[in-house]
Amino acid sequence: MRVNIGFEIHEQLATSTKLFCLSPTNYRDAEPNSNVCEVCLGLPGAKPMPVNREAVEAVVAIALMLNCEIVREPVYILRKHYDYPDLPSGYQRTSMPIGKNGELAGVRIWEVHLEEDPGKYDPTTGRVDFNRSGVPLVEIVTAPDMHSPEEAREFLKELVKVLRYTQRVREEGGTMRVDTNVSIEGGARVEIKNINSIRGAYRALKFEITRQKNLMRRGRAVKRETRAYLEAQMITRAMRTKEEAEDYRYIPDPDLPPLLITEEMIEKVRATLPEAPHLKERRFVEQYGIKSDDARIIASELELANAFEEVARVIPPQFAASWIRDEVKRVLEYNGITFRQSGITPAHLIELLQMVLRDEITLKTAKKVMELLPERRTSPRKIIEELGLKKLRDDSAVARACDEAIAENPKAVQDYLSGKKEALNFLVGQVMRKTRGRADPAKVLEMLRERVEGETGQDAGRSA
Amino acid sequence: MSALEELRSGALSAKENVARYLEAIEARDGEVNAFIELNPHAEQEARRVDERIEEGKAGKLAGLVVAVKSNINVRGLRATCASKTLENYVSPYDATVIERIRREDGVIIGMTNMDEFACGSSGETSYFGPTQNPSARGRIPGGSSSGSAAAIAAGFADLALGSDTGGSIRNPASHCGVVGIKPTYGLVPRHGLIDLAMSLDQIGPLAGDVRSAALLLEVIAGHSDREATTLRVSPPEYSSALSADLSGMRIGFAREFEEYTAKEIIREVKHALSKLEAQGASVVEVELPSLDKALPAYYLTVFVEFFSATRRYDGRRYGYRIEEVCGEEVLRRIMLGRYISQKEYSGRYYRRALQFRSLIKREVLSALAEVDLLAGPTTPKLPHRLGESLSPLEMYAYDLLTVPANLAGIPAGVVKAGEVRGIPVGLQLHARPLEEQKILNAMYALEGGT
Repeated sequence: MRVNIGFEIHEQLATSTKLFCLSPTNYRDAEPNSNVCEVCLGLPGAKPMPVNREAVEAVVAIALMLNCEIVREPVYILRKHYDYPDLPSGYQRTSMPIGKNGELAGVRIWEVHLEEDPGKYDPTTGRVDFNRSGVPLVEIVTAPDMHSPEEAREFLKELVKVLRYTQRVREEGGTMRVDTNVSIEGGARVEIKNINSIRGAYRALKFEITRQKNLMRRGRAVKRETRAYLEAQMITRAMRTKEEAEDYRYIPDPDLPPLLITEEMIEKVRATLPEAPHLKERRFVEQYGIKSDDARIIASELELANAFEEVARVIPPQFAASWIRDEVKRVLEYNGITFRQSGITPAHLIELLQMVLRDEITLKTAKKVMELLPERRTSPRKIIEELGLKKLRDDSAVARACDEAIAENPKAVQDYLSGKKEALNFLVGQVMRKTRGRADPAKVLEMLRERVEGETGQDAGRSA
Repeated sequence: MSALEELRSGALSAKENVARYLEAIEARDGEVNAFIELNPHAEQEARRVDERIEEGKAGKLAGLVVAVKSNINVRGLRATCASKTLENYVSPYDATVIERIRREDGVIIGMTNMDEFACGSSGETSYFGPTQNPSARGRIPGGSSSGSAAAIAAGFADLALGSDTGGSIRNPASHCGVVGIKPTYGLVPRHGLIDLAMSLDQIGPLAGDVRSAALLLEVIAGHSDREATTLRVSPPEYSSALSADLSGMRIGFAREFEEYTAKEIIREVKHALSKLEAQGASVVEVELPSLDKALPAYYLTVFVEFFSATRRYDGRRYGYRIEEVCGEEVLRRIMLGRYISQKEYSGRYYRRALQFRSLIKREVLSALAEVDLLAGPTTPKLPHRLGESLSPLEMYAYDLLTVPANLAGIPAGVVKAGEVRGIPVGLQLHARPLEEQKILNAMYALEGGT
């Protein structure tokens, strides 16, 4: 039984002011109802200002990245009427499509629109915060071209990656809203609203497909309906018929002339577009000769990819690529931040890796410094000097540590001598701990072996 | 124009000007009911204007007293729209036109009565009671800018602001015998004007004489960056460009006007036209064959846009849900708007209305391609007696001759043409977009200016 899944995705655009007024958009940092004016509060008589150009350009950029045609006829801005506490004027403004007939990762993109966000209503307290009211959104409508929750999840990941790449959407995250529609061959199309994350979309689809299959198995029809996803219970529930039978009574907003997207604007926006992630990935493999797995991970974030290219000018590319893929990504994931948010610069990475290549620090030290970079936001060399992490050039200090380790661990020495070769690794670990990672592990191994094996020939341990 | 001259010469102070109007209002508005609320700070504001006059820094309206229709936001005053729905709405902001009036040192004296939400042509549908016609006692003043026209006619203010969606400035100007102008759509910023039908609404001036109306118009007109539908123009100084010399001016009169209008009104209109001919104009006949489509085009548009505009009065922020407290005309328009904007009907009604609208626009503009001005009556009949009951369709018929200007987006002005049994009758003049000056000049000539 073939499953068909499509999406309507909303994401906030990264503009500094709202779509139809000059109120700021940083609503998360502001007191409730402080980022408002008569326009975004929909006060009687207030008229929208001309559409925020930055927002229009953002939608054009996103549409182009999704390989859409840009609509050249007048784009009307419609009023979509519904009655809800978060909507101060009783209608939401939404544009006719600005982009059409695109494609991403094998999924057809039907339409890309510009919209305004409503306010935020808290049903438990009955309070409304209009700081969000009027924040610009992009709406992306796909064809039902995905056939499993896994495919749908992969598509959403790819989409988020591309949206981030444009640098036109809010990067704080958590602002994406998804409606999905799903049908199984022979059944009606069901819409699911109220999804806030990729994981939520995946779970909602999993549940919904099972529900529909069970109905069909029992010989019952799947109704055409709109359901809500309940995040906490991970289930979908039918919405009241009133909620779904709503007629939005769309009319072109008489207060706004239609938008005209000019060739000039399209070209201006096109010139700012980054290379698409999948093209970048391919180029990295060809140009730098790095592994394609590494290329994919590096290309997942635009700033990270750009950093890689800068680093690879100085550092051997595969070394740089492995480091970014393993170490940089590890640190970012541990902290739950993007590369941009980390404050790590290409110059930092170059400095750090050069120190490794010049044998000034050990890999172990480099990894430790890597972990400190997001917090310290300073030159790795400085961190290393401050913490005294330079590689021990002084053999006597290493030798002293080796001697101590041997003296403190006679059992490990015995084990090694009786044939358990891995016991020596334990001793290496002890030495590294004593030298705070500054000793060269290869050298430590050599010195230990010399000493332990030497003990069988000469009774007395050597001293420095 | 005495008040302005007296103010400029220093014979009258702004404070004295305000005081004498407040006295007149105090004495006679109980009967007229032109105002819903007076500005408690008017005298204080006038004192500040007097200081500016003394410093030689006062603007064009220095000390002139302005009455404002209750659907225009004035910070600190109630913009009630003469409805219970907004009876407690104290505006937190100034409409763009109010900012401009303040910048030129006009003094706002108060908020005038009107038909509820501008839905009416008689001034009778106000939640705050009907307004009397000061120029024809016992009759309606016309609407919906009833209080603004009555305030001018009664001598309660130098100037007034009205709004005109389908005749709401011109109709009461005609019935009250004052000057009223509906500007080109987009000439005057609408920010702060509470909606009736957004694609038709325009704010405009009312005054006792043409020069005053021209002065207020030049203050409020012109592009505004903060609004998407204003035109990119900086208007001329209409008041100083006034000229009563009409030589070479061609004025068209549409035969269709006669079909719909009372003969006694036509007689006064034609008499006025002959006076314009005496000033050098020539009058020719033009055609408006689709005039009968104007009302349906207009009302269908109003219903849909008004329905949309009233969705914010949902009872959550302004105290009442509009449907629960409004009068029957407002409710009728909301219900009809809700009905015809349904998905299944949008093609049948709203789109048809838009088609009629472009047809009328084409016709009016092509008539105006032949002539400088299109002249005619303002209303098909004389104002009825207060309290007389009319069916909705009879009431809508008042607007037949005024809606074409709104549908076409062109300017139109009304000036007193004469009287029928003591009841004022206005001459209506239309011009091509942005040619307000031609209308003003013809009105000025009729008024007897030089």
